Amino acid sequence: MLATKDVAADFTLRRLDGEAWSLAAATRDGLVLLAFVETDCPTCRLAAPYLKRLAEALGDRGERVVAVSQDGELETRALVETYRLPFPVLLDDGLEVSRAYDPPSVPALFLVDGEGRVLRSSVGFEKAEINQVADAMLSALGLPSRIIAEADDGAPALMPGCSSRHVEHGLDVDTGPAPEPIDLRPETGPRASRVEVPDDVDPYEYCMSAGFSPFLPVVPPTAERVDAFLDEVPLPPDAVLGLVPPCYGQATVEKVAANAVMAGCRPEHMEVLFPMVRAMCDERFNLHGVQATTHSATPLTILSGPAAERLGFASGAGVFGNTARANSTVGRALQLIMTNLGGARPGEIDMATLASPGRFSYCIAENHADSPWQPLHVDRGYAPEESAVTLFAGAGLSVVSEHTARTGAGVLRTLAATLATVWSWRSCGRVEAVVVICPEHAATLAADGFGKERARDFLYDNTGVPLRAYEHEGTEGTQLRASYEEILIDGEPHYRKFADPSQILLVVAGGTAGKFSGVIGGWLSGPRGSQMVTYPVRW
Amino acid sequence: MTTLVNPLFEADSGSAEPAPRLDTLAGKKLGLLDISKPGGSVFLDRLETLLVERHGVAEVVRVAKPTYTKPAPADVLEGLRFVDGVIEALAD
Repeated sequence: MLATKDVAADFTLRRLDGEAWSLAAATRDGLVLLAFVETDCPTCRLAAPYLKRLAEALGDRGERVVAVSQDGELETRALVETYRLPFPVLLDDGLEVSRAYDPPSVPALFLVDGEGRVLRSSVGFEKAEINQVADAMLSALGLPSRIIAEADDGAPALMPGCSSRHVEHGLDVDTGPAPEPIDLRPETGPRASRVEVPDDVDPYEYCMSAGFSPFLPVVPPTAERVDAFLDEVPLPPDAVLGLVPPCYGQATVEKVAANAVMAGCRPEHMEVLFPMVRAMCDERFNLHGVQATTHSATPLTILSGPAAERLGFASGAGVFGNTARANSTVGRALQLIMTNLGGARPGEIDMATLASPGRFSYCIAENHADSPWQPLHVDRGYAPEESAVTLFAGAGLSVVSEHTARTGAGVLRTLAATLATVWSWRSCGRVEAVVVICPEHAATLAADGFGKERARDFLYDNTGVPLRAYEHEGTEGTQLRASYEEILIDGEPHYRKFADPSQILLVVAGGTAGKFSGVIGGWLSGPRGSQMVTYPVRW
Repeated sequence: MTTLVNPLFEADSGSAEPAPRLDTLAGKKLGLLDISKPGGSVFLDRLETLLVERHGVAEVVRVAKPTYTKPAPADVLEGLRFVDGVIEALAD
């Protein structure tokens, strides 16, 4: 494969519109990006909207982005129409140019300079690479720098591609007829069908019997109600917010609105629900596993920032209960979407042994007014005036009373004892936990000089399972003890419960009366399980 | 008449015919997919021995998912492309 500083072999190919296109002529006045693609490669289809965005950012120089299709005219034309690609697309009939540039896989990017040399080359989809290519092209034209591939737009940060056609053909393996191309991130989806319910049928009962929500009555999603929502949303009804695992149903704006109507949301709540849907569909969150596991985990949403108060989300007394329409209905809408678009019906794909009350609704806001600490969304990299939703695959809430301790360390030691039991007592290093600090405990901690980070580190250092707990072989967690870290807590040998301080997330929420904080254990954490994700509140 | 907007996933997810059953295990090439749950490999080790010794399986191909929490990635499935049958092992 051609690498940096190699001479980019000159070539002339036919454009899809029939005109001849030559590299030498195109590079005469500056940088050109060649993107080798296959029409049925899911990674190429994932990259297509970003190439389009880059071309648009280049303005009247957008034709400096050029795709080289390794497929026939018919398939290539379909790809161009699907993604409305505005830049030249060349047909590499016979794959001669592909052989000359020799990428092992596609998509393959070659940034070629005015001298006809390769400035950078890469294969697969990688957001960082796309942004660096964009930087180089924009700055060469004197245009302001722009991020083309946002980190939190729902697409994975990187994804390997498919074998380049010229390599594939060399294998001489009959792979049979090409399957239908898969779009990992379609921009638009089909409109929802309409259902006519006769006058002698109660629409509420109809929604239950039709499987819209067989377990709890909902507001019938009438066309009028859904249209009223769509009027408030600055996105077209067929725009796709994400594909909901494990069945990967398209969460179009219209489908999300219909489920939000059913949950009892207000139209303005969509501003928070949309990023929740995007976050839930983020590959890092691994909703596939969260929905299919027999464990009780389900997405807990923590809203942080000024949007909470503006949209009526409760963060104080009774925050996990029936206290505010926004929390109850937005959390419930997410759960309906998980079932109705993700396909996780209890007892079918959702095989949770016990599940949890959070499966109805699990949505809280952070109590900024009574918190001595920096808000969660600022911890997660957003500006104070922004708002963000953080999704955590959490089990149920364990409430911890500590009305006696007068010191911050005392409060934390009590919480640590409950933290030591998340997932399963003897199991260490596998899960994350959210610690919901009530305002009275937060005040005690602040008075003792505990910042959020120090409080978290104290919990990390003081949460463990005593070695004497492992005397009974054959219990969960004992088989992995060789991998645990031994530490001393109050002079007694323990195994450290959490692999890293970042596995403990502190949030201040709840009412100002009562010294009850809460612990929520997670599901398997990290890249092999579910990772906490944060998305900004914006349309 | 009340008109409702269908809130359900509507696309036809398609259907597939199950592969024909093997008439015998003797002389076949079998894939054993370990989903990487604790204990799965212990079970599969024993199963592999039994398949070869008792049922005359000609060859056993062992592949493992990196994590049981996610679908098998393409390269793992690729490892099972040229076998006569697959046994997927859950565990716990």
